[in-house]
Amino acid sequence: MPPERSGIADYSALLLPALRARCEIVTVKRGARRPPRGTDLSVYHIGNDPVAHGWIVDALRRTAGLVVLHDFVLHHLVSGITLGRGNGKAYLDALERDAGLPARLLGYAVMEKRIPPLWENRPEDFPLAGEVLGLATGLIVHSRYVHDRARAYGFTGPIWIVPHPAFPVPELPAAEVGGEPLFASFGNVNASKRIPQLLEAFARVRPERDAARLLLVGATSPGFDLDRRLQRLGLDDAGLVREGYVHENRLWQLMMAADVHVNLRSPTMGETSGTAIRALSLGKPLIVSDVGWFSELPADVALRVPVDEHEVETLVAALELLTTRPDVRTAMGAAARELALREHDLGQVAELYVAAFEQAAGGGAVGDAVLREVSEAAADVGIAPGSAAASEIAERLGEVGLGG
Amino acid sequence: MRIAVCRPQVPFAHGGAEIFTDTLVAELRARGHEAEIVSVPFKWYPGARVLTQAFTWRLLDLTESDGKPIDLVVATKFPSYAVRHPEKRVWLVHQFRQAYELDRTDLGQFGESPEDRAIRRQVQELDRVALGEARRLFATSGNVAGRLERSTGLVAEVLPHPAQALDYHDEGHGDFILSVNRLDRAKRVDLLIEAAALEPSLQVVVVGEGPDGDRLRGLVADRGVDDRVRFAGRVDADELARLYATCFASFYAPVDEDFGLGPYESFLSGKPVVTATDAGGPLDVVHDGSTGRVVAPEAAEVASAAVWLRDHPAEAVAFGRAGKAIAVEVTWDRAIGRLLA
Repeated sequence: MPPERSGIADYSALLLPALRARCEIVTVKRGARRPPRGTDLSVYHIGNDPVAHGWIVDALRRTAGLVVLHDFVLHHLVSGITLGRGNGKAYLDALERDAGLPARLLGYAVMEKRIPPLWENRPEDFPLAGEVLGLATGLIVHSRYVHDRARAYGFTGPIWIVPHPAFPVPELPAAEVGGEPLFASFGNVNASKRIPQLLEAFARVRPERDAARLLLVGATSPGFDLDRRLQRLGLDDAGLVREGYVHENRLWQLMMAADVHVNLRSPTMGETSGTAIRALSLGKPLIVSDVGWFSELPADVALRVPVDEHEVETLVAALELLTTRPDVRTAMGAAARELALREHDLGQVAELYVAAFEQAAGGGAVGDAVLREVSEAAADVGIAPGSAAASEIAERLGEVGLGG
Repeated sequence: MRIAVCRPQVPFAHGGAEIFTDTLVAELRARGHEAEIVSVPFKWYPGARVLTQAFTWRLLDLTESDGKPIDLVVATKFPSYAVRHPEKRVWLVHQFRQAYELDRTDLGQFGESPEDRAIRRQVQELDRVALGEARRLFATSGNVAGRLERSTGLVAEVLPHPAQALDYHDEGHGDFILSVNRLDRAKRVDLLIEAAALEPSLQVVVVGEGPDGDRLRGLVADRGVDDRVRFAGRVDADELARLYATCFASFYAPVDEDFGLGPYESFLSGKPVVTATDAGGPLDVVHDGSTGRVVAPEAAEVASAAVWLRDHPAEAVAFGRAGKAIAVEVTWDRAIGRLLA
């Protein structure tokens, strides 16, 4: 929760009042040892940040419960709560659980500084989600992508897909930035946001479209030499508008000013982008990478750019299209707003959360009661466990979500 | 075509859904189909029994019978639509309303324990799966379709079913308003009795029996309107047709009704309908100032609307005619044509 500064803290602050309107919620603060007395269900928000979420994993270890999995790749989190706490063995165990002995050996190499840290170079290859999934009695995820990855990872418990809620749009004037059109990318400026590819594509478009501008908003990640890249591409004196980290209101104003939001990402940690959700709330067309949750955005809302050898060319085509076709921008923006209302409405999201809470809290007992009655009836008529008839009953139960 | 019409059966109870499915089977047979009712007893309590009873439908194999294929199944209300069939059509009469809009009301079933809350959610999940797999999904009214879409996101085509066969006719603008309904609190016949108490010139005939009958008779005595509110009880088809033919309008204002055949029967007799703004299904066809009067569910409003229709015969006749134009379009030929298309 705020004042912690993370997307998940913002998310929780947005969601909590809507949940409290529908059920009784007690928030647990850092340092609590046990869930408050009388609660029917413990819910854990877990993302990939060891500082923000390490203590939540500790709490999950003490009391199992429903996990809201905000990222699927938890390598950074796990390295932070193992190596970061001086427990190298736990890190090695996590790697081995993920990908066997070769991964453990890579872990040794990392610890001896023979190779660069895996959490910086290859986290997506070693998600290290095993412990959290093993402790979770159920999962709430924000995308089909994370649902499928959790299943592929062997998670057999219930999973509820609950979309990220749309943010209420504040009543503020748009910032005056200029550009016809104005493309904008929000978030850290680094390679995983595909900024090099975006800059290269924009540099190719700009000579013919000199009214177009690109706005980059966010802190530049250490080691990412933005100035040198801009100089090399000839974007250092025109066409590019730069703002570093900005506070909430300024962020909204800049988002309002943008005609098109560019939200590229690779690799993905399975996250849902809060900035992309804000773009939908504002009714802005999007250009996104065709990965993870971003691939699930409808084609009439987002132009999806595959991360392949043609990535820059595809980006150029997307920028060209949205520069020359304001009617397409308008149609995509309207579809984005409609999607935000249809899928990301805060009240509707809260309803889905409460449905998941209720099923998670009482579903086990209900499933047991149904199974008991069905198995007793089956046994009464001589259907033996493991027989073909018993298998069919189990299959039918599974079809309607009653276990089996 | 061999068609199985699926309906749950609450032993010793017989109501609108049973009449509807019996009639559907008869009408299918009249059109050359081999049709049959398939029924399974239904008990929805205690605890998770509602789910195990629903699950019974899931185990049925209706793909063939006695070695001959069953071409199509038509499921009607919860939990019959849990049945599996490659050609499953659902003509939805209603879902298990205790799991939806009746939850946490006097008519609800589920308490606040984690188990009860989870059973309710599981019923909803079962609906999503079982209704979602139907090849075609129809609802008897816009109200039922709306509830379905709000609760599951599934979209149903509205397909009203025709009124019962009666000798519908019109003997002119009469001097009483008619209520034809089961005497049950949810049907709100008491609104009409209270309206009569407020408006000393209003004459009322009440057709039907039910669990609220004694209370309603007591209310009539208490309000001193015995001379103007007549309970006709259950009446035969001829008497019902005669009452419709001789009234000036009918009153039909249940709370959030699924469908409601009453307005169709009234319209086929050329009579407008007084209903309430929260009546649900009837609002598909009763439109204020067009086919009847739609008023707030308050006795004074009902009294005023009834007196207005009585005192404006030209308008009442016009409204009745407009309603009839809607009702005559709802035929078994058309309904079955869409159902089997």
